[in-house]
Amino acid sequence: MMDSSRRRKNNYISLVLLLCLIILLLAGCWDRTEVNDLAIILATGVDVSKKEAIELSVQVFIPKPAEGGQQEGVSSGTNSSQTLVRSAEGVTIADAMSRLQEKLTRRIFWGQNEVLVIGEKLAKRGIEDQIDFWMRHSEPRERADVFVSMDSAKEVLESMPELERDSAKQLRKLVDSQIGVKVTVKDLSEMLSGEAGAAVIPWVAKLSPSNLGVNKGKNIPFIQGAAVLRGDKMVGWLSDKETRGILWPRNEMKSGIITIRTNGETGYVSLNLLRSNNQLMPKIMNGKWSIRVKTDADLEVIQNTSNLSLLHSKSLKEVERKVVQEIEDREKLALSKTQEKLNADIFGFAEAFQRKYPRIWRRKSSEWKEIFPKVDITFETKVNIIRTGLENEEARKGGEEK
Amino acid sequence: MIEKGKISPFQMALIIYAVVVGTAILYIPFITAQHAKRDLWLSPIWAALSGFLIVFIITKLYKLYPKKTLVEYSELILGRTLGKIIGFIFLFFLLYDTAIAFREYGEFVESAFLHKTPLVVVTGGIALTCAFAVHGGIEVLGRCAIIFLPIVLVLYLIIYLFLIPDLNVKNIFPIMEYGWIPSIKGSLAPHAWLSQFSLLSFLLPFLSDETKGMKWSILSVSVSVMTMVYINLGNIFLFGGIITSTQFPVFQAARYISIGSIFEHVESIVIAVWVLGGFVQLSAFFYMLVLGTSQWLKLHSHKPIILPFGFLIILFSVWSASSFQEMIRSMGTTTPFYFITIQLLIPMLLLFVAVIREKLRKA
Repeated sequence: MMDSSRRRKNNYISLVLLLCLIILLLAGCWDRTEVNDLAIILATGVDVSKKEAIELSVQVFIPKPAEGGQQEGVSSGTNSSQTLVRSAEGVTIADAMSRLQEKLTRRIFWGQNEVLVIGEKLAKRGIEDQIDFWMRHSEPRERADVFVSMDSAKEVLESMPELERDSAKQLRKLVDSQIGVKVTVKDLSEMLSGEAGAAVIPWVAKLSPSNLGVNKGKNIPFIQGAAVLRGDKMVGWLSDKETRGILWPRNEMKSGIITIRTNGETGYVSLNLLRSNNQLMPKIMNGKWSIRVKTDADLEVIQNTSNLSLLHSKSLKEVERKVVQEIEDREKLALSKTQEKLNADIFGFAEAFQRKYPRIWRRKSSEWKEIFPKVDITFETKVNIIRTGLENEEARKGGEEK
Repeated sequence: MIEKGKISPFQMALIIYAVVVGTAILYIPFITAQHAKRDLWLSPIWAALSGFLIVFIITKLYKLYPKKTLVEYSELILGRTLGKIIGFIFLFFLLYDTAIAFREYGEFVESAFLHKTPLVVVTGGIALTCAFAVHGGIEVLGRCAIIFLPIVLVLYLIIYLFLIPDLNVKNIFPIMEYGWIPSIKGSLAPHAWLSQFSLLSFLLPFLSDETKGMKWSILSVSVSVMTMVYINLGNIFLFGGIITSTQFPVFQAARYISIGSIFEHVESIVIAVWVLGGFVQLSAFFYMLVLGTSQWLKLHSHKPIILPFGFLIILFSVWSASSFQEMIRSMGTTTPFYFITIQLLIPMLLLFVAVIREKLRKA
């Protein structure tokens, strides 16, 4: 009896000692980093510097305590800058980063970096080496959105949007609206290493500020079309309209408004795209490569300034026919440019052929550069107008057309 | 008998699942993709063969020698000297296997989060924690498994559910572009991982309901294979062509989660939960090693050798590879052959001799 109670007591004492030891561990990590030791990077710009090296610019978030809450009103977020931009040169991004660190009192932290802007000059020279940093280093995120900017990327970071807090937020919100292409670092890496060896990246241009804006004289970045890359080098640029055209075959067209005019009418009909689905149907016949771009779209009418009565299936068919034509025209416009002029397969045609004809592809993949411009493209577009809006034009026009 | 505890067949299935899948989901996709490319999801299916075969052999052996582990019946089958040698080879391999598992755990935590922390601190920390579980015996292990693993399993599932908007199903086509060979070559590493089902031999004697041992083992193999296929499919859907260059696809996938730009940066949660699974896995390895060794040495208790073996494991985990790259390369090349030789061939040999002995005795 005595023995067992003493043993229990010993156990009890050792347990207490152990718990005391564990308390030591609660003090925290030995290499902890407090938030006020970090320079949180919101956006990064990469340019070619004058000395032909890499110029890395970062937009750093300035943490400020919330001031007085309501007093400054809603505009407080926009008129006082919450970010600063710093840049440094180096032979690689990582090298430039170490130089940049010398200028910043806080440790550079990539974890929140959501935007990567690449200057036009660098994009023309090749971006593969830059992407390597993003995929290899464990701190930057693969989900960061990538852009190519007209002129230097630094300027984009320095610009001040009117509605958003900073240019990083501005750019992210613009690509999220789904009217253009959206490319993350992961997507880009996938496109660059893919069979097609071509990529498309949203293009950032400058919008002059509105007159009433708070930051007069500063340009606002916005998305205008897309940069086209072959290999890892930028070879051309697509306008807004052409970019819309490439969204269809890429199956990224999810929203948009199409306005058409039917034959013999003066007014227009505008339709809102509800949903669309695209498929690429590759075919190799007698050594001739062709692709059928199959589109299936549902739309609704949102404005009708023509005299067409959309209650009649005949006029509805006419509108549908016109929409099909419009969509195909847009696709053709984009395709002719990328296929003939730029020779960059940004639609995933290569992958489509590879999936359908793996054996032929294995032999011919090295010749894709010569084959792609000659691929015959046909369209098969099906459009359904599923709603004609809330108004009935029979009532409005009193049926005068009939 | 050293261990007096009992576990249910379900607990056994969970423990062995943790042993196999814990680190497999981290390393298998990358290693498999080196050969199999976009067919990497097929490889675990080939590897299932090893899993089922080993479960069959081990349960068969157990039926011939009930209440005995591999270390014990190898002496009965091959005689004292030869049996001891085989037992030693197996245990030495198990030490290496355990050390590799600790190393894998440590390397992952290092490259994902604690870049500057010495590896020994990471592996030593978990080894100490595991030592407590091992000290508690098989029942503690079983309960840990039953508490932690459902959370881990749900986690594996939801990572890719959250990524559905980013998944591109077309990425798996064309299936078997280069025929069967790449996916079979890629299945080398999954074969090695699934051959670890031979460790069932250390768990079967403690079942509360022995009749269900076979059934739950088969189920555990199936779920392990399904998990690997699921993870590999998720990775190929998400990463497409760059799957061959993403070192920790599951981790990177977790980082990629972003829902409504609010629910993002969740990788820390993923790792925290994964560590739970890792804990069960490493404790199970540790336990089997210690149990087997004390049976081999005919000790009365496994407890005195827990700490020395913990130390030995950490040493071996440092010795096993000089760098992360070396470890990865050996896992894709030489290690699987080592694993399969010891874990498949030794039990096979034992069963062969045991069956012949049985026949001779009857005749």
